[in-house]
Amino acid sequence: MSNDWKSYKPMLVPAIRDLHDISVYEKNNGYQALKKILKDRKTWTPANVVNEVKTANIRGRGGAGFNAGLKWSFMPEPDGKPRYLACNGDESEPGTFKDRKLFEFNPHLFIEGAIIAAYAMQIDVIYVYIRGEYRPFIQKLQKAIDQACEKGYLGKKILGSDFSVEMYTHMGAGAYICGEESSLMESLEGKRGYPRVKPPFPAQRGLWGRPTTINNIETLANVPLVMQHGAEWYLDIGPKTHPGPVLYGISGHVNRPGVYEYPAGMDIMTLINEVAGGVRGGKKLKALIPGGSSTPPLRADMLDGVTMDSESLREAGSMMGTAGMVVLDEDTDMVDLIWRISYFYDHESCGQCTPCREGTGWLEKTLRKIKDGNGEMRDLDLLLAICHRMEGRTICALADAAAWPVRYSIDRFREEFEKKCKKTVYAVA
Amino acid sequence: MPEIYIDNKRYEFEKPGKVLQFMLDKGLDLPFFCYHPSLSIPANCRQCVVKAGMPVFDREKKVFEIDDEGNRVIRYFPKLMTACSLDLADGLVIHTHETDELVKEAQADNLEFILINHPLDCPICDQAGECPLQILTYKYGPEGSRFEHKKVHKPKAIQLGPRVILDAERCINCTRCVRFTDEISKTYQLTIISRGDKNYPTTANGREFDDPYSLNTVDICPVGALTSADFRFKARVWEMNQTPSVDITNGKGCSTWLWTRDNLVLRVTPRFNEAVNDHWMPDAGRLAYRKFNENRISRPHLRPDDAGQVRTSWNNAQLTLQEELEKVTADEILVIGSPHASVEDNYALRTYFGNLGVSRFRFLPHTEPGTGDGFLISDDQAPNTNGVKGLGFDEIDEKSLIKLIETGKPKIIAILDDDLLGRTALTEEHLASSWMIVWGTNHNDTTRAANLVVPVTTAAEHAASYVNVDGRIQRTVPAKETLYTNRRLNLEMSMGRLDHYGTKFDNWVSDANRIDCIPAWEFFTRMKSDSDTIAWESSRQIMEDIAGTFPVFREVSYDRMDEENGIQLKLEQDSEVKPA
Repeated sequence: MSNDWKSYKPMLVPAIRDLHDISVYEKNNGYQALKKILKDRKTWTPANVVNEVKTANIRGRGGAGFNAGLKWSFMPEPDGKPRYLACNGDESEPGTFKDRKLFEFNPHLFIEGAIIAAYAMQIDVIYVYIRGEYRPFIQKLQKAIDQACEKGYLGKKILGSDFSVEMYTHMGAGAYICGEESSLMESLEGKRGYPRVKPPFPAQRGLWGRPTTINNIETLANVPLVMQHGAEWYLDIGPKTHPGPVLYGISGHVNRPGVYEYPAGMDIMTLINEVAGGVRGGKKLKALIPGGSSTPPLRADMLDGVTMDSESLREAGSMMGTAGMVVLDEDTDMVDLIWRISYFYDHESCGQCTPCREGTGWLEKTLRKIKDGNGEMRDLDLLLAICHRMEGRTICALADAAAWPVRYSIDRFREEFEKKCKKTVYAVA
Repeated sequence: MPEIYIDNKRYEFEKPGKVLQFMLDKGLDLPFFCYHPSLSIPANCRQCVVKAGMPVFDREKKVFEIDDEGNRVIRYFPKLMTACSLDLADGLVIHTHETDELVKEAQADNLEFILINHPLDCPICDQAGECPLQILTYKYGPEGSRFEHKKVHKPKAIQLGPRVILDAERCINCTRCVRFTDEISKTYQLTIISRGDKNYPTTANGREFDDPYSLNTVDICPVGALTSADFRFKARVWEMNQTPSVDITNGKGCSTWLWTRDNLVLRVTPRFNEAVNDHWMPDAGRLAYRKFNENRISRPHLRPDDAGQVRTSWNNAQLTLQEELEKVTADEILVIGSPHASVEDNYALRTYFGNLGVSRFRFLPHTEPGTGDGFLISDDQAPNTNGVKGLGFDEIDEKSLIKLIETGKPKIIAILDDDLLGRTALTEEHLASSWMIVWGTNHNDTTRAANLVVPVTTAAEHAASYVNVDGRIQRTVPAKETLYTNRRLNLEMSMGRLDHYGTKFDNWVSDANRIDCIPAWEFFTRMKSDSDTIAWESSRQIMEDIAGTFPVFREVSYDRMDEENGIQLKLEQDSEVKPA
């Protein structure tokens, strides 16, 4: 990598004025990938598009990092009945704020990607589920969709072909859990956002019982790049195991927080010190939450040589998540931070499964007790025990997401927790 | 045949299904809360977790891989699986709490989780004693709790609807009630609101939970979150006797349990019967328990003159009827059977008057068109319309009946338990010139107008059969003692804990609630008769008689009804032969 990143030109959110306007977007190679496919449909059959995307190995940007093309290939053969593409723009994880950049500055790139995805999976209805708080961005996206309809990129008989697809936006109503793919579908269906039991998987039975694929907004925005330049070109950006441009949302104690687009696999220290201008106030770095609040925090001394891609982060003991990096300086009170994260998960647990419904509340209450200085040493063991019994015992991964930060921060910052706990000695028997 | 291994034992299965239901069918034990066989599977309580694995299949050799010891190599799922949502599969290996420590631990952990915000107010909770949470906690739960914080507080004693009260703190969010209104009663009245541990079920803002099946949610609630407004705080479950019976308020004839204490029926709950009502019953049928307790006729009532009715002895009642019968000829008698009375009582009525030479046997069906819902509520308001029909009583409509009485001027009208004055346009004036005998259970307009009232037993006090709208014959079992029956002598009657172990002083059993009445058929056996066809000793014997006489009832017997939970009759046969 070394200094390549300095010469990198953003592609997802390039610095072009008024790119959200369709005429500007078209001038800058906009909708070329779609045109390329629809012009030469013999080469670009739906199956070939899926294969191309699969080869490009676009790792899902919503947090799980699953190969998007592979996910597409799970869709069954069309049977004439409806199938759906749901685009997940519900980003509500603390520390994650990248999709809004796309809605705001380059909505057409995402729209084009979604249309290509719909073509590849032979889908005729696309739903875009957006976080309700993003009202101005929803309006921007809606305007972009309307423009695309006018120009014939969306709607019936796109660009004169026999391929038709509709796109609808849907506002979330403030629930974090609706960013989980199956509860997103429940929410879209007008029901309470409870995650569904898997199997059946969405590709078998999704929205209204029909085959459905759910992709993150940023994932879909990568699709036109792949289709325009080819999978080989795409694989050359960043590490092969986790290629492509990534929107790094850097927040916390840095001088220049913001969303930065660079290739995947950037060195973490480079991102913090050079891209984001270093730790605020010249303080020392203490810890980093690499990909949104649910990913285990890493101590500063664990960051040497670690790069922002799935494999490297897994080795370091965390996850890529959504690349929403939260930088924490030496003054951070880890107990306070973890309590706040726990408070979030307690508030956002949908309450369907017992371990998560009760466990998140228990974690929050226990952490609050420690934070307030009333904790005892045994509470730390209790926290670990609660985490242990929440992990992997629920329908969706929210319980894991709530348990990991607690488990790993006790693991990695134990002395800080211990410092806050009363040193109680119990008489034997 | 495909096989499955549960705790190292081999079982075979025929139909595809879920592991939990399969285990329950086999009588194996696994704790669960949210699962209900008649509802969808949300897998949200996470209590029925098991360790599951599939044998590794060698695709090339087309055999299961075998390890060094000759056992199949099993690849276990990385997470514990919920048995309720896990499909049966050939070769599936299941380890429950019996053989796996992790599963045992997970089940205890889950109960500890459920209990941290549960108020644990069992001593004042109606569900105590029949509470799955209580039972499973004793069986699988942890020894104590490590939860040291304030519990989450939620609304208590909320009147959700006219019949159901919610205590949100007790709720464990199994969503059974919500799924019931969505999937069974289809009123969609309940939903879970709020999030996380503040969740609880309720109705939409400003709406009432007035579902005609609302009390079923109380039955399926695995804790005391939903309680019946009517039964709440009335009795402890372990102090009551439970007797199988049939709903007599509706033509559908749902199978029920009658819950009694001190010879009062305190509540009615549905009894599982796949052929009729599954696990459910309408609310109206449950509130009918009052009919068994209140406003009952005790001792025969006689009207010597116009002044009014007086209580009289059984002897006097029999003699009075005898005297009246001697005054008239057989064709001056009109006998009205009842769709509200049992097959046996109607048969006894018909046989007794048939022996006297009476030929006018009528009955008036009790239907209210438009009240049925195609599910468990029928237009027919009476439990035995098809039974009376099958016994050869002629169906008559209201107008014809009044005309028959006005023009025919029968000297004696004999009415079996049916409030004709109350439910039709028939008035006392119509009956002024007739002498009327009524066999009745409760005081009503008809009994008040009668010259002689014979108190008879209700479905809660006798063993008798009823034929529902679909032609299914089902029977009741005595649940309440009358003055002449005794729980300790009648082996059919259920014996509760207090009946077995209580003394006269510490149990609830007193004589106060025993009604002075007998089954209608028994009254006829007491009457002087030339024929020996009436010398029955039990309703069981009457059913044998009926089965021998009427082709419709040919294969009916009490034993078969008990075994098969009722028998489907072929009603079209009823026109075949009529007995002389």
